[in-house]
Amino acid sequence: MDRLIYVAMTGAKQSMQRQATISSNLANAATPGFRADLDTFRAVPVLGEGAQTRAFVVAQTTGADLSPGVIQSTGRDMDAAINGDGWFTVQTGSGEAYTRNGGFEIDASGLLKTRSGLVVMGENGPITVPDNTRISFGSDGTISGTPLDNPSATTDLGRLKLVNPAGTDVYKGTDGLFRMRDGSAAQTDENVEVAPDALENSNVNAVDELVNMISSQRHYDMQVQLIQSADTNARSVASIIQFSS
Amino acid sequence: MMRSLWIAKTGMDAMQNNVDVISHNLANVATNGYKRERPIFDDLLYQNLRQPGGATSQTTSLPTGLQLGTGVRTVATARIFEQGSLQNTEGQLDLAINGVGFFQITQPDGTTAYTRDGSFQLDNQGNVVTAEGEALSPAIQVPAGTTSVSVGKDGTVTAIVNNVASAPVTLGVIQLATFINPAGLQAIGDNLYLETNASGAPTAGQPGTNGLGAVNQGYVETSNVNVTEELVNMIQAQRAYEINSRAVTTSDQMLQKLESM
Repeated sequence: MDRLIYVAMTGAKQSMQRQATISSNLANAATPGFRADLDTFRAVPVLGEGAQTRAFVVAQTTGADLSPGVIQSTGRDMDAAINGDGWFTVQTGSGEAYTRNGGFEIDASGLLKTRSGLVVMGENGPITVPDNTRISFGSDGTISGTPLDNPSATTDLGRLKLVNPAGTDVYKGTDGLFRMRDGSAAQTDENVEVAPDALENSNVNAVDELVNMISSQRHYDMQVQLIQSADTNARSVASIIQFSS
Repeated sequence: MMRSLWIAKTGMDAMQNNVDVISHNLANVATNGYKRERPIFDDLLYQNLRQPGGATSQTTSLPTGLQLGTGVRTVATARIFEQGSLQNTEGQLDLAINGVGFFQITQPDGTTAYTRDGSFQLDNQGNVVTAEGEALSPAIQVPAGTTSVSVGKDGTVTAIVNNVASAPVTLGVIQLATFINPAGLQAIGDNLYLETNASGAPTAGQPGTNGLGAVNQGYVETSNVNVTEELVNMIQAQRAYEINSRAVTTSDQMLQKLESM
């Protein structure tokens, strides 16, 4: 059997993996703060005796596309989006993690949390909102609370911990949150800008993904065609060396 | 079978939920005191199929790995308690809250539910009840022979009985309740909400005090659904649904190719 069939097989198999990444991006076209996954193909030369004539292909995700999504006003005073680069900080079981999704809630004890129940970090730890208070975010991430019974007594509740590590220093974990590659906690950045009463949409570009999907499908078709050619070749060879009865 | 089939399915599911929520909002565009909802989406877990740094041969290792997302889920519907607009009806028992707070309603089983819908009626005993016939709490009873009822901004209810305009009778005071996290209330239909662990315990008070809204007689609070916004959301949801169904079709065609080899 010719080795072509195995080489083409890796091509077809990796196109399927790529299709999974594209589907996942498309499925999250409406997830606030979502960052699209990028993937590439890489040639892996087959090492061995003799001349190197073949290379298998391997799909890999090189990280996430960190370009900003569209900021959409929601009119909800507990929503915040980051305008430009930067991240909100949340507390997880394994240290700090970073997210672009600023749809916050408060729980029954007044603690500021994300919708998935993670505690949002301020510069001096978690943020607690007192009873009967309406909060508003400032453009530098400061949170002010206005007591409903005394609108003139606005108090400062703290400031969101906003960080802006370089894109190469963060990676997306299996929970979809970003963390520092070296496991450290990122430094607070004074220049991150918050847009209050708004959420950032997913940065998935449907046009890109659809085009990728078609090209990946055609790539797959081509690989399958090659497998069929290899099969035809093998069949011809077999018929030549057959004993004619 | 094929990962992308299932991933695209989660996308279609989520968009289906999105359209469900939008339809519910639009259906309630004329419901007094209705508060609109927004679906919230979250990406599902990721799978590391190939760990970065894994060996590719005896001498080489992977510079980056292969991490595949598994799709999306609808994690919550967030209720937006924006004030609806106040519509003048001139109804004596139409009350609207301008500001925060909920009317307290005693349900048939004795528990308290909360509502923003203040279009009240009288039952055959003269009790102030909702359109469903459930009594306002604390209970207010209008005596026989009442010619007019007036409700002050602070919730005080007085009545002119037997046309004695010089001596109005005080019937009681309407109390409003607030919650630290109204978004955590559970909607049970009939414009009612129930307290949950997430909403925290209610704090009752007199309208117009402690930041509670004032009660306005002769007004109802309209729904806060913004039709334009819902229609734009619907277009977006429909297109996202179609794109995800396209991903299903593509995966199907790839499998077909395999099968016809």
